[in-house]
Amino acid sequence: MSIKKLDQAALDTWVNKLIANQSVYGVQAKGERFAFGPLSKAEDLRLDYDVTILPPKKYFQPQREDLLEFNAKGEYTSVTETEPFILFGVHPYDVVAIAQMDTIFSADNYDVHYMTRRHNATIVACDVQNASANVFAGCMNTATVTKGFDLLLTKIGEFYLAEAKTPKGEKLLTDLPGGLEPGNLDLARREQVWKDNTGLLRKHKLKCNPQELPGLLEKSYYAPVWEAKAKLCFSCGSCNLVCPTCYCFDVQDDVNWDLQSGKRTRAWDGCLLKDFAAVAGGHNFRSSRTDRYRHRFYRKAKYVAEKLNQIACVGCGRCISACVPKIANPVEVFNELL
Amino acid sequence: MSKPKLAIFDFTCCEGCQLQIVNLEEEILNLISLVNPVEWREAMSEHIGNYDIALIEGSITRPEDEEKLRRIRKRAKILVALGSCASTGGVNKLKNNFDLQEVKHCVYGQAADMPHLHTAPTKAIDEVVQVDYKIYGCPIDRREFAYIVRCLALGKSPEIPDYPVCVECKLQENICRYEYDEICLGPVTRAGCGARCPSCATWCFGCRGHIEEPNLSAAKEIMVRYGKTFQDLKNRMNIFGSKQRYADE
Ligand code: SF4
Ligand code: SF4
Repeated sequence: MSIKKLDQAALDTWVNKLIANQSVYGVQAKGERFAFGPLSKAEDLRLDYDVTILPPKKYFQPQREDLLEFNAKGEYTSVTETEPFILFGVHPYDVVAIAQMDTIFSADNYDVHYMTRRHNATIVACDVQNASANVFAGCMNTATVTKGFDLLLTKIGEFYLAEAKTPKGEKLLTDLPGGLEPGNLDLARREQVWKDNTGLLRKHKLKCNPQELPGLLEKSYYAPVWEAKAKLCFSCGSCNLVCPTCYCFDVQDDVNWDLQSGKRTRAWDGCLLKDFAAVAGGHNFRSSRTDRYRHRFYRKAKYVAEKLNQIACVGCGRCISACVPKIANPVEVFNELL
Repeated sequence: MSKPKLAIFDFTCCEGCQLQIVNLEEEILNLISLVNPVEWREAMSEHIGNYDIALIEGSITRPEDEEKLRRIRKRAKILVALGSCASTGGVNKLKNNFDLQEVKHCVYGQAADMPHLHTAPTKAIDEVVQVDYKIYGCPIDRREFAYIVRCLALGKSPEIPDYPVCVECKLQENICRYEYDEICLGPVTRAGCGARCPSCATWCFGCRGHIEEPNLSAAKEIMVRYGKTFQDLKNRMNIFGSKQRYADE
Protein backbone atom coordinates (compact mmCIF):
# COMPACT_ATOMS: atom_id res chain seq x y z
CA MET A 1 0.00 0.00 0.00
CA SER A 2 1.26 3.47 -0.70
CA ILE A 3 2.42 6.19 1.63
CA LYS A 4 2.47 9.88 0.73
CA LYS A 5 3.83 13.06 2.25
CA LEU A 6 1.73 16.20 2.04
CA ASP A 7 1.72 19.74 3.38
CA GLN A 8 -1.28 21.52 4.89
CA ALA A 9 -2.31 23.07 1.54
CA ALA A 10 -2.33 19.67 -0.17
CA LEU A 11 -4.27 18.20 2.75
CA ASP A 12 -6.91 20.93 2.46
CA THR A 13 -7.29 20.49 -1.29
CA TRP A 14 -7.55 16.74 -0.83
CA VAL A 15 -10.17 16.98 1.96
CA ASN A 16 -12.27 19.41 -0.10
CA LYS A 17 -12.12 16.99 -2.99
CA LEU A 18 -13.30 14.15 -0.78
CA ILE A 19 -16.15 16.32 0.55
CA ALA A 20 -17.25 17.03 -3.02
CA ASN A 21 -17.60 13.29 -3.69
CA GLN A 22 -19.20 11.88 -0.55
CA SER A 23 -20.29 12.55 3.03
CA VAL A 24 -17.35 13.27 5.28
CA TYR A 25 -17.63 13.47 9.08
CA GLY A 26 -14.65 15.13 10.69
CA VAL A 27 -13.56 16.58 14.01
CA GLN A 28 -14.49 20.22 14.55
CA ALA A 29 -14.45 22.68 17.43
CA LYS A 30 -17.54 22.75 19.64
CA GLY A 31 -17.13 25.65 22.07
CA GLU A 32 -13.95 24.87 23.97
CA ARG A 33 -14.25 21.18 23.13
CA PHE A 34 -14.34 19.02 20.00
CA ALA A 35 -16.91 16.83 18.29
CA PHE A 36 -17.28 14.76 15.13
CA GLY A 37 -19.78 16.35 12.76
CA PRO A 38 -20.62 16.66 9.07
CA LEU A 39 -17.68 18.43 7.44
CA SER A 40 -18.48 21.10 4.86
CA LYS A 41 -15.00 22.50 4.25
CA ALA A 42 -11.40 21.57 4.99
CA GLU A 43 -10.70 24.62 7.19
CA ASP A 44 -13.20 23.38 9.76
CA LEU A 45 -11.27 20.16 10.27
CA ARG A 46 -9.30 20.17 13.55
CA LEU A 47 -6.80 17.35 13.42
CA ASP A 48 -5.02 19.01 16.37
CA TYR A 49 -7.98 18.09 18.66
CA ASP A 50 -7.34 16.40 22.00
CA VAL A 51 -10.47 14.26 22.36
CA THR A 52 -14.08 14.48 21.13
CA ILE A 53 -16.99 14.72 23.58
CA LEU A 54 -18.62 11.61 22.12
CA PRO A 55 -16.66 8.86 20.42
CA PRO A 56 -17.21 8.13 16.71
CA LYS A 57 -19.40 5.14 17.64
CA LYS A 58 -22.36 7.47 17.02
CA TYR A 59 -21.87 6.91 13.28
CA PHE A 60 -22.24 3.15 13.59
CA GLN A 61 -24.70 2.97 16.46
CA PRO A 62 -26.53 6.31 16.48
CA GLN A 63 -27.90 7.70 19.75
CA ARG A 64 -31.38 6.79 18.51
CA GLU A 65 -32.18 4.82 15.38
CA ASP A 66 -35.16 3.17 13.72
CA LEU A 67 -34.83 -0.60 13.51
CA LEU A 68 -38.02 -1.54 11.75
CA GLU A 69 -41.49 -0.47 10.73
CA PHE A 70 -44.44 -2.69 11.58
CA ASN A 71 -48.20 -2.83 11.20
CA ALA A 72 -51.09 -4.43 13.04
CA LYS A 73 -51.22 -7.28 10.50
CA GLY A 74 -47.88 -8.46 11.81
CA GLU A 75 -45.86 -7.35 8.80
CA TYR A 76 -42.57 -5.57 9.27
CA THR A 77 -39.63 -4.23 7.28
CA SER A 78 -36.13 -3.53 8.59
CA VAL A 79 -34.78 -0.05 8.18
CA THR A 80 -31.12 0.16 7.16
CA GLU A 81 -29.06 3.06 5.93
CA THR A 82 -26.91 2.63 2.87
CA GLU A 83 -24.93 5.79 2.18
CA PRO A 84 -21.13 5.45 2.12
CA PHE A 85 -19.19 7.93 4.26
CA ILE A 86 -15.71 8.87 5.44
CA LEU A 87 -14.91 9.27 9.10
CA PHE A 88 -11.98 11.66 9.20
CA GLY A 89 -9.50 12.03 12.02
CA VAL A 90 -10.18 9.06 14.33
CA HIS A 91 -7.60 8.75 17.12
CA PRO A 92 -5.88 5.38 17.63
CA TYR A 93 -7.70 4.55 20.90
CA ASP A 94 -11.02 5.05 19.11
CA VAL A 95 -9.83 2.88 16.22
CA VAL A 96 -9.18 0.09 18.73
CA ALA A 97 -12.64 0.64 20.24
CA ILE A 98 -14.34 0.45 16.83
CA ALA A 99 -12.54 -2.81 16.07
CA GLN A 100 -13.82 -4.18 19.37
CA MET A 101 -17.39 -3.04 18.58
CA ASP A 102 -17.10 -4.74 15.18
CA THR A 103 -16.49 -8.05 16.93
CA ILE A 104 -19.33 -7.49 19.40
CA PHE A 105 -21.85 -6.57 16.70
CA SER A 106 -20.89 -9.34 14.29
CA ALA A 107 -19.86 -12.37 16.34
CA ASP A 108 -22.83 -13.86 18.20
CA ASN A 109 -25.71 -11.98 16.64
CA TYR A 110 -24.89 -10.27 13.39
CA ASP A 111 -26.33 -6.76 13.79
CA VAL A 112 -27.33 -5.69 10.32
CA HIS A 113 -27.91 -2.04 11.33
CA TYR A 114 -24.45 -1.58 12.81
CA MET A 115 -22.66 -3.67 10.20
CA THR A 116 -24.29 -1.94 7.22
CA ARG A 117 -23.02 1.40 8.44
CA ARG A 118 -19.67 -0.10 9.28
CA HIS A 119 -19.23 -1.49 5.76
CA ASN A 120 -20.17 1.89 4.34
CA ALA A 121 -17.48 3.66 6.34
CA THR A 122 -13.95 4.53 5.34
CA ILE A 123 -11.90 5.31 8.42
CA VAL A 124 -9.15 7.88 8.23
CA ALA A 125 -7.22 7.57 11.47
CA CYS A 126 -4.98 10.31 12.79
CA ASP A 127 -2.23 10.07 15.36
CA VAL A 128 -2.78 12.25 18.42
CA GLN A 129 -1.19 15.72 18.24
CA ASN A 130 -2.33 17.02 21.62
CA ALA A 131 -2.99 14.84 24.62
CA SER A 132 -6.29 15.43 26.43
CA ALA A 133 -6.38 16.09 30.18
CA ASN A 134 -7.41 12.55 31.14
CA VAL A 135 -6.13 10.24 28.42
CA PHE A 136 -4.29 7.09 29.50
CA ALA A 137 -4.16 5.24 26.18
CA GLY A 138 -0.41 4.82 26.69
CA CYS A 139 -1.18 2.48 29.61
CA MET A 140 -3.73 0.48 27.60
CA ASN A 141 -1.56 -0.15 24.51
CA THR A 142 -3.87 1.99 22.41
CA ALA A 143 -1.77 5.14 21.91
CA THR A 144 -0.86 3.96 18.40
CA VAL A 145 -2.43 1.49 15.99
CA THR A 146 -1.34 -0.73 13.15
CA LYS A 147 -4.75 -1.97 11.99
CA GLY A 148 -8.49 -1.22 12.13
CA PHE A 149 -8.36 1.79 9.79
CA ASP A 150 -8.21 2.39 6.04
CA LEU A 151 -5.71 5.20 6.10
CA LEU A 152 -3.49 6.70 8.79
CA LEU A 153 -2.37 10.31 9.00
CA THR A 154 0.58 11.31 11.15
CA LYS A 155 1.77 14.86 11.58
CA ILE A 156 5.56 15.22 11.32
CA GLY A 157 6.58 18.85 11.72
CA GLU A 158 4.92 20.90 8.95
CA PHE A 159 3.92 17.82 6.97
CA TYR A 160 1.58 14.88 7.21
CA LEU A 161 2.31 11.31 6.24
CA ALA A 162 -0.69 9.46 4.83
CA GLU A 163 -0.41 5.69 4.68
CA ALA A 164 -3.08 3.53 3.08
CA LYS A 165 -3.80 0.29 4.89
CA THR A 166 -6.65 -1.12 2.79
CA PRO A 167 -7.89 -0.83 -0.81
CA LYS A 168 -10.48 1.69 0.46
CA GLY A 169 -7.67 3.83 1.86
CA GLU A 170 -5.64 3.40 -1.30
CA LYS A 171 -8.60 4.67 -3.28
CA LEU A 172 -8.74 7.86 -1.18
CA LEU A 173 -5.07 8.46 -1.94
CA THR A 174 -5.79 8.46 -5.68
CA ASP A 175 -7.66 11.72 -5.08
CA LEU A 176 -4.60 13.26 -3.44
CA PRO A 177 -3.13 16.03 -5.57
CA GLY A 178 0.63 16.49 -5.55
CA GLY A 179 1.53 14.07 -2.76
CA LEU A 180 5.31 13.62 -2.31
CA GLU A 181 7.21 10.40 -1.73
CA PRO A 182 8.42 10.30 1.89
CA GLY A 183 12.09 9.70 2.60
CA ASN A 184 13.66 7.56 5.32
CA LEU A 185 14.01 10.59 7.56
CA ASP A 186 10.24 11.21 7.35
CA LEU A 187 9.52 7.61 8.29
CA ALA A 188 11.93 7.86 11.20
CA ARG A 189 10.14 10.99 12.42
CA ARG A 190 6.86 9.11 12.29
CA GLU A 191 8.37 6.31 14.38
CA GLN A 192 9.38 8.97 16.87
CA VAL A 193 5.80 10.36 17.06
CA TRP A 194 4.53 6.87 17.89
CA LYS A 195 7.20 6.41 20.54
CA ASP A 196 6.48 9.83 22.06
CA ASN A 197 2.72 9.32 22.08
CA THR A 198 3.01 6.05 23.96
CA GLY A 199 4.72 8.04 26.70
CA LEU A 200 2.67 11.23 26.46
CA LEU A 201 -0.80 9.69 26.55
CA ARG A 202 -0.48 8.69 30.17
CA LYS A 203 -2.16 11.42 32.18
CA HIS A 204 -3.14 8.73 34.67
CA LYS A 205 -0.75 5.88 35.34
CA LEU A 206 -2.06 2.37 35.69
CA LYS A 207 0.22 0.57 38.11
CA CYS A 208 -0.22 -2.86 36.55
CA ASN A 209 -0.28 -4.44 33.16
CA PRO A 210 -3.81 -4.33 31.62
CA GLN A 211 -3.65 -8.13 31.19
CA GLU A 212 -3.62 -8.47 34.96
CA LEU A 213 -6.95 -6.68 35.37
CA PRO A 214 -9.33 -9.67 35.03
CA GLY A 215 -7.38 -11.49 37.75
CA LEU A 216 -7.38 -8.39 39.92
CA LEU A 217 -11.15 -8.06 39.65
CA GLU A 218 -11.60 -11.78 40.32
CA LYS A 219 -10.60 -11.14 43.94
CA SER A 220 -12.06 -7.65 44.38
CA TYR A 221 -15.84 -8.14 44.31
CA TYR A 222 -16.25 -7.15 47.96
CA ALA A 223 -13.59 -4.43 48.04
CA PRO A 224 -14.60 -1.27 49.95
CA VAL A 225 -13.84 0.99 46.97
CA TRP A 226 -17.16 0.20 45.24
CA GLU A 227 -19.38 1.49 47.97
CA ALA A 228 -17.08 4.35 48.91
CA LYS A 229 -17.13 5.74 45.36
CA ALA A 230 -20.75 4.86 44.57
CA LYS A 231 -21.89 7.06 47.47
CA LEU A 232 -21.26 10.05 45.23
CA CYS A 233 -22.71 8.49 42.08
CA PHE A 234 -25.70 10.23 40.47
CA SER A 235 -26.60 7.12 38.42
CA CYS A 236 -26.51 9.47 35.46
CA GLY A 237 -24.93 7.03 33.02
CA SER A 238 -22.60 9.68 31.60
CA CYS A 239 -19.62 7.34 32.03
CA ASN A 240 -21.40 4.76 29.84
CA LEU A 241 -22.71 7.13 27.23
CA VAL A 242 -19.40 8.80 26.40
CA CYS A 243 -17.51 5.50 26.33
CA PRO A 244 -16.35 4.18 22.95
CA THR A 245 -16.69 0.57 24.11
CA CYS A 246 -20.12 0.82 25.78
CA TYR A 247 -22.79 -0.29 23.35
CA CYS A 248 -25.88 -1.27 25.36
CA PHE A 249 -29.22 -0.09 24.02
CA ASP A 250 -32.88 -0.02 24.91
CA VAL A 251 -35.58 -0.97 22.38
CA GLN A 252 -38.97 0.76 22.33
CA ASP A 253 -42.02 0.64 20.07
CA ASP A 254 -44.11 3.68 19.20
CA VAL A 255 -47.29 3.64 17.17
CA ASN A 256 -48.47 6.15 14.62
CA TRP A 257 -51.67 8.14 15.14
CA ASP A 258 -53.65 5.49 13.22
CA LEU A 259 -52.73 2.97 15.97
CA GLN A 260 -52.33 0.46 13.12
CA SER A 261 -48.69 0.99 12.23
CA GLY A 262 -45.58 2.06 14.02
CA LYS A 263 -41.86 1.74 14.37
CA ARG A 264 -39.33 0.13 16.64
CA THR A 265 -36.38 2.25 17.70
CA ARG A 266 -33.35 1.70 19.82
CA ALA A 267 -31.48 4.26 21.88
CA TRP A 268 -28.28 4.25 23.93
CA ASP A 269 -28.69 2.85 27.41
CA GLY A 270 -26.21 2.50 30.26
CA CYS A 271 -25.69 0.00 33.08
CA LEU A 272 -25.27 2.85 35.58
CA LEU A 273 -28.89 3.94 35.06
CA LYS A 274 -31.32 2.81 37.75
CA ASP A 275 -33.74 0.97 35.46
CA PHE A 276 -31.13 -0.67 33.24
CA ALA A 277 -31.51 -4.07 34.87
CA ALA A 278 -35.20 -3.72 35.73
CA VAL A 279 -37.36 -6.48 34.26
CA ALA A 280 -41.05 -7.28 33.93
CA GLY A 281 -42.73 -7.67 37.28
CA GLY A 282 -40.71 -4.84 38.81
CA HIS A 283 -37.60 -6.78 39.80
CA ASN A 284 -34.26 -5.04 39.39
CA PHE A 285 -31.11 -7.17 39.21
CA ARG A 286 -28.91 -4.24 40.24
CA SER A 287 -31.06 -2.02 42.34
CA SER A 288 -28.27 -0.51 44.44
CA ARG A 289 -25.95 2.24 43.24
CA THR A 290 -22.95 0.22 44.40
CA ASP A 291 -23.97 -2.80 42.31
CA ARG A 292 -24.35 -0.65 39.24
CA TYR A 293 -21.17 1.30 39.84
CA ARG A 294 -19.15 -1.91 40.29
CA HIS A 295 -20.73 -3.60 37.28
CA ARG A 296 -19.20 -1.15 34.80
CA PHE A 297 -15.67 -2.00 35.92
CA TYR A 298 -16.35 -5.73 35.83
CA ARG A 299 -17.79 -5.37 32.39
CA LYS A 300 -14.77 -3.40 31.18
CA ALA A 301 -12.01 -5.46 32.66
CA LYS A 302 -13.43 -8.91 33.35
CA TYR A 303 -16.63 -10.02 31.57
CA VAL A 304 -15.93 -8.60 28.09
CA ALA A 305 -12.20 -8.99 28.64
CA GLU A 306 -12.49 -12.74 29.23
CA LYS A 307 -14.85 -13.22 26.30
CA LEU A 308 -12.86 -11.26 23.73
CA ASN A 309 -9.43 -11.44 25.28
CA GLN A 310 -9.31 -7.61 25.12
CA ILE A 311 -9.89 -5.10 27.90
CA ALA A 312 -13.05 -3.10 27.12
CA CYS A 313 -11.36 0.16 28.04
CA VAL A 314 -9.12 1.94 25.58
CA GLY A 315 -7.99 4.70 27.93
CA CYS A 316 -9.66 7.62 26.14
CA GLY A 317 -10.40 9.26 29.51
CA ARG A 318 -13.85 10.49 28.43
CA CYS A 319 -15.61 8.96 31.45
CA ILE A 320 -13.20 10.77 33.76
CA SER A 321 -14.08 14.15 32.22
CA ALA A 322 -17.81 13.45 31.97
CA CYS A 323 -18.37 12.38 35.58
CA VAL A 324 -19.54 15.41 37.57
CA PRO A 325 -18.61 13.98 41.02
CA LYS A 326 -15.28 12.75 39.59
CA ILE A 327 -15.54 9.11 40.64
CA ALA A 328 -15.45 7.34 37.26
CA ASN A 329 -11.67 7.18 36.70
CA PRO A 330 -10.84 3.53 35.89
CA VAL A 331 -7.14 4.00 36.65
CA GLU A 332 -7.88 5.35 40.10
CA VAL A 333 -10.18 2.42 40.85
CA PHE A 334 -7.83 -0.26 39.52
CA ASN A 335 -4.83 1.22 41.31
CA GLU A 336 -6.80 1.28 44.52
CA LEU A 337 -7.55 -2.43 44.15
CA LEU A 338 -3.89 -3.36 43.61
CA MET B 1 -64.10 1.08 18.81
CA SER B 2 -65.51 4.36 20.08
CA LYS B 3 -63.03 7.12 20.70
CA PRO B 4 -61.95 7.65 24.33
CA LYS B 5 -63.46 10.77 25.87
CA LEU B 6 -60.77 13.23 26.94
CA ALA B 7 -61.29 16.18 29.28
CA ILE B 8 -58.81 18.84 30.30
CA PHE B 9 -59.14 20.88 33.51
CA ASP B 10 -56.93 23.61 34.82
CA PHE B 11 -56.22 24.76 38.34
CA THR B 12 -53.51 27.14 39.51
CA CYS B 13 -51.12 27.59 36.59
CA CYS B 14 -50.30 29.73 33.60
CA GLU B 15 -52.10 27.36 31.17
CA GLY B 16 -48.88 27.11 29.20
CA CYS B 17 -49.11 23.31 29.07
CA GLN B 18 -52.53 23.49 27.40
CA LEU B 19 -51.02 25.98 25.02
CA GLN B 20 -48.40 23.36 24.15
CA ILE B 21 -51.24 21.04 23.15
CA VAL B 22 -52.74 23.73 20.93
CA ASN B 23 -49.21 24.23 19.56
CA LEU B 24 -49.28 20.68 18.20
CA GLU B 25 -50.72 22.51 15.16
CA GLU B 26 -51.41 20.02 12.32
CA GLU B 27 -50.89 17.15 14.71
CA ILE B 28 -53.83 18.33 16.78
CA LEU B 29 -56.06 16.93 14.02
CA ASN B 30 -54.45 13.54 14.58
CA LEU B 31 -55.11 13.93 18.29
CA ILE B 32 -58.76 14.67 17.66
CA SER B 33 -59.04 11.73 15.30
CA LEU B 34 -57.94 9.54 18.21
CA VAL B 35 -59.76 11.02 21.20
CA ASN B 36 -62.99 12.85 21.67
CA PRO B 37 -62.42 16.08 23.61
CA VAL B 38 -65.43 16.63 25.86
CA GLU B 39 -64.32 19.37 28.18
CA TRP B 40 -61.54 21.77 27.37
CA ARG B 41 -61.98 25.38 28.25
CA GLU B 42 -59.05 26.62 26.25
CA ALA B 43 -60.26 25.07 23.00
CA MET B 44 -64.02 24.54 23.25
CA SER B 45 -66.96 25.28 25.53
CA GLU B 46 -69.34 22.26 25.68
CA HIS B 47 -69.59 20.36 29.01
CA ILE B 48 -70.41 16.62 29.14
CA GLY B 49 -70.48 13.78 31.79
CA ASN B 50 -67.81 11.05 32.26
CA TYR B 51 -64.28 10.87 30.89
CA ASP B 52 -61.99 8.05 29.86
CA ILE B 53 -58.98 10.31 30.30
CA ALA B 54 -58.88 13.46 32.44
CA LEU B 55 -55.85 15.70 32.08
CA ILE B 56 -55.31 17.99 35.05
CA GLU B 57 -53.20 21.08 34.63
CA GLY B 58 -52.11 23.27 37.54
CA SER B 59 -51.68 22.77 41.26
CA ILE B 60 -54.21 22.93 44.06
CA THR B 61 -54.06 26.12 46.12
CA ARG B 62 -57.59 26.51 47.54
CA PRO B 63 -59.70 24.08 49.59
CA GLU B 64 -62.63 24.43 47.16
CA ASP B 65 -60.37 23.24 44.34
CA GLU B 66 -59.68 20.04 46.26
CA GLU B 67 -63.41 19.35 46.16
CA LYS B 68 -63.62 20.02 42.45
CA LEU B 69 -60.63 17.73 41.81
CA ARG B 70 -62.20 14.90 43.83
CA ARG B 71 -65.34 15.20 41.70
CA ILE B 72 -63.26 14.95 38.52
CA ARG B 73 -61.42 11.92 39.87
CA LYS B 74 -64.75 10.17 40.45
CA ARG B 75 -65.78 10.75 36.85
CA ALA B 76 -62.45 9.82 35.25
CA LYS B 77 -61.18 6.35 34.35
CA ILE B 78 -57.59 7.54 33.90
CA LEU B 79 -56.35 10.71 35.55
CA VAL B 80 -53.18 12.35 34.25
CA ALA B 81 -51.30 15.24 35.85
CA LEU B 82 -50.25 17.61 33.09
CA GLY B 83 -47.10 19.68 33.59
CA SER B 84 -44.96 20.67 36.54
CA CYS B 85 -47.62 22.48 38.59
CA ALA B 86 -49.85 19.42 38.52
CA SER B 87 -47.23 16.70 38.83
CA THR B 88 -44.88 18.17 41.45
CA GLY B 89 -46.43 21.48 42.53
CA GLY B 90 -43.83 23.29 40.48
CA VAL B 91 -43.11 26.99 40.95
CA ASN B 92 -46.36 27.38 42.88
CA LYS B 93 -44.73 25.61 45.80
CA LEU B 94 -42.33 28.50 46.32
CA LYS B 95 -45.19 29.94 48.32
CA ASN B 96 -44.95 27.12 50.85
CA ASN B 97 -41.55 28.41 51.96
CA PHE B 98 -43.22 31.46 53.56
CA ASP B 99 -45.94 32.41 55.99
CA LEU B 100 -49.25 32.44 54.07
CA GLN B 101 -50.38 35.78 55.48
CA GLU B 102 -47.11 37.36 54.44
CA VAL B 103 -47.42 35.89 50.94
CA LYS B 104 -50.94 37.22 50.49
CA HIS B 105 -49.98 40.70 51.60
CA CYS B 106 -46.95 40.71 49.36
CA VAL B 107 -49.06 39.78 46.31
CA TYR B 108 -52.38 41.52 46.94
CA GLY B 109 -51.45 44.38 49.27
CA GLN B 110 -54.47 45.91 50.99
CA ALA B 111 -56.92 43.57 49.23
CA ALA B 112 -55.21 40.51 50.76
CA ASP B 113 -58.03 39.71 53.16
CA MET B 114 -60.85 39.82 50.59
CA PRO B 115 -62.68 36.44 50.69
CA HIS B 116 -62.11 35.59 47.02
CA LEU B 117 -58.36 35.84 47.54
CA HIS B 118 -58.35 33.07 50.08
CA THR B 119 -55.37 30.75 49.60
CA ALA B 120 -53.91 27.57 51.13
CA PRO B 121 -50.50 25.87 50.88
CA THR B 122 -49.87 24.55 47.36
CA LYS B 123 -50.42 20.86 46.66
CA ALA B 124 -49.50 18.72 43.67
CA ILE B 125 -52.43 16.75 42.24
CA ASP B 126 -51.30 13.47 43.82
CA GLU B 127 -51.41 15.07 47.26
CA VAL B 128 -55.20 15.24 46.84
CA VAL B 129 -56.26 12.35 44.60
CA GLN B 130 -54.71 9.26 43.08
CA VAL B 131 -52.86 10.06 39.84
CA ASP B 132 -52.35 7.40 37.15
CA TYR B 133 -49.73 9.12 35.03
CA LYS B 134 -47.66 12.28 35.20
CA ILE B 135 -46.56 14.32 32.21
CA TYR B 136 -43.68 16.37 33.54
CA GLY B 137 -42.19 19.67 32.45
CA CYS B 138 -42.70 23.42 32.49
CA PRO B 139 -44.09 23.45 29.94
CA ILE B 140 -44.70 19.85 28.84
CA ASP B 141 -42.88 18.52 25.81
CA ARG B 142 -45.31 18.26 22.88
CA ARG B 143 -43.77 15.11 21.43
CA GLU B 144 -43.85 13.37 24.78
CA PHE B 145 -47.47 14.43 25.29
CA ALA B 146 -48.45 13.05 21.88
CA TYR B 147 -46.64 9.79 22.61
CA ILE B 148 -48.35 9.39 25.98
CA VAL B 149 -51.81 10.04 24.50
CA ARG B 150 -51.16 7.41 21.80
CA CYS B 151 -50.10 4.90 24.46
CA LEU B 152 -53.21 5.57 26.56
CA ALA B 153 -55.47 5.27 23.50
CA LEU B 154 -53.83 1.92 22.81
CA GLY B 155 -54.23 0.83 26.43
CA LYS B 156 -50.49 0.55 27.03
CA SER B 157 -48.39 2.21 29.78
CA PRO B 158 -46.12 4.90 28.41
CA GLU B 159 -42.39 4.72 29.18
CA ILE B 160 -41.65 7.87 31.14
CA PRO B 161 -37.93 8.41 31.79
CA ASP B 162 -36.66 7.97 35.31
CA TYR B 163 -33.07 8.89 34.57
CA PRO B 164 -31.32 12.26 34.89
CA VAL B 165 -31.13 15.00 32.27
CA CYS B 166 -27.37 14.21 31.95
CA VAL B 167 -28.37 11.30 29.70
CA GLU B 168 -29.99 13.59 27.15
CA CYS B 169 -27.15 16.10 27.39
CA LYS B 170 -24.69 13.33 26.55
CA LEU B 171 -26.81 12.13 23.62
CA GLN B 172 -26.74 15.66 22.22
CA GLU B 173 -23.04 16.01 22.85
CA ASN B 174 -23.54 19.13 24.97
CA ILE B 175 -20.67 20.51 26.99
CA CYS B 176 -21.48 19.93 30.66
CA ARG B 177 -22.60 23.12 32.49
CA TYR B 178 -20.29 22.22 35.38
CA GLU B 179 -17.41 22.87 32.97
CA TYR B 180 -18.71 26.44 32.79
CA ASP B 181 -18.60 26.74 36.55
CA GLU B 182 -22.39 26.64 36.83
CA ILE B 183 -24.57 24.61 39.18
CA CYS B 184 -26.83 22.54 36.95
CA LEU B 185 -29.70 20.49 38.38
CA GLY B 186 -29.47 17.96 35.55
CA PRO B 187 -27.88 15.15 37.62
CA VAL B 188 -30.92 14.93 39.96
CA THR B 189 -33.66 15.99 37.52
CA ARG B 190 -35.89 13.72 35.48
CA ALA B 191 -35.12 13.70 31.75
CA GLY B 192 -37.62 13.67 28.90
CA CYS B 193 -37.22 17.28 27.78
CA GLY B 194 -34.30 16.42 25.49
CA ALA B 195 -32.02 18.49 27.78
CA ARG B 196 -33.73 21.58 26.47
CA CYS B 197 -32.06 24.18 28.70
CA PRO B 198 -28.47 22.88 28.61
CA SER B 199 -28.81 22.55 24.82
CA CYS B 200 -29.56 26.29 24.78
CA ALA B 201 -26.45 26.95 26.85
CA THR B 202 -27.97 27.33 30.29
CA TRP B 203 -28.16 25.15 33.41
CA CYS B 204 -31.09 22.81 34.09
CA PHE B 205 -33.71 24.47 36.32
CA GLY B 206 -35.12 21.11 37.40
CA CYS B 207 -38.62 21.76 36.05
CA ARG B 208 -39.47 18.08 35.64
CA GLY B 209 -38.80 17.40 39.30
CA HIS B 210 -36.42 14.91 40.87
CA ILE B 211 -35.89 11.42 39.53
CA GLU B 212 -37.26 8.71 41.87
CA GLU B 213 -33.91 8.19 43.62
CA PRO B 214 -32.00 11.47 43.36
CA ASN B 215 -28.58 11.43 45.02
CA LEU B 216 -29.07 14.72 46.83
CA SER B 217 -26.35 14.08 49.36
CA ALA B 218 -23.90 13.75 46.46
CA ALA B 219 -25.24 16.97 44.93
CA LYS B 220 -24.58 18.65 48.26
CA GLU B 221 -21.15 17.12 48.73
CA ILE B 222 -19.78 18.04 45.32
CA MET B 223 -20.56 21.74 45.80
CA VAL B 224 -17.26 22.17 47.67
CA ARG B 225 -15.40 20.56 44.78
CA TYR B 226 -16.85 23.14 42.42
CA GLY B 227 -16.19 26.08 44.75
CA LYS B 228 -19.87 26.50 45.62
CA THR B 229 -21.88 26.20 48.80
CA PHE B 230 -24.90 24.17 49.88
CA GLN B 231 -26.85 27.43 50.00
CA ASP B 232 -26.02 28.09 46.32
CA LEU B 233 -27.48 24.70 45.48
CA LYS B 234 -30.59 25.27 47.59
CA ASN B 235 -31.23 28.61 45.93
CA ARG B 236 -31.25 26.90 42.56
CA MET B 237 -33.51 24.11 43.77
CA ASN B 238 -36.06 26.50 45.29
CA ILE B 239 -37.52 27.53 41.94
CA PHE B 240 -39.00 24.19 40.95
CA GLY B 241 -37.96 22.04 43.86
CA SER B 242 -39.52 23.76 46.87
CA LYS B 243 -41.13 21.27 49.23
CA GLN B 244 -40.58 18.52 46.72
CA ARG B 245 -40.02 15.07 48.09
CA TYR B 246 -36.49 15.02 49.66
CA ALA B 247 -36.24 18.82 49.20
CA ASP B 248 -35.35 19.50 52.81
CA GLU B 249 -32.64 16.87 53.18
S1 SF4 C 1 -14.00 3.29 30.44
FE1 SF4 C 1 -13.59 5.50 30.32
S2 SF4 C 1 -11.43 5.65 29.69
FE2 SF4 C 1 -12.10 3.54 29.29
S3 SF4 C 1 -12.75 3.58 27.14
FE3 SF4 C 1 -14.59 3.97 28.38
S4 SF4 C 1 -14.74 6.21 28.54
FE4 SF4 C 1 -12.67 5.72 27.80
S1 SF4 D 1 -20.69 9.54 35.31
FE1 SF4 D 1 -20.11 9.43 37.48
S2 SF4 D 1 -21.98 10.02 38.58
FE2 SF4 D 1 -22.62 9.51 36.50
S3 SF4 D 1 -23.19 7.34 36.61
FE3 SF4 D 1 -21.02 7.40 35.98
S4 SF4 D 1 -19.89 7.23 37.93
FE4 SF4 D 1 -22.00 7.77 38.48
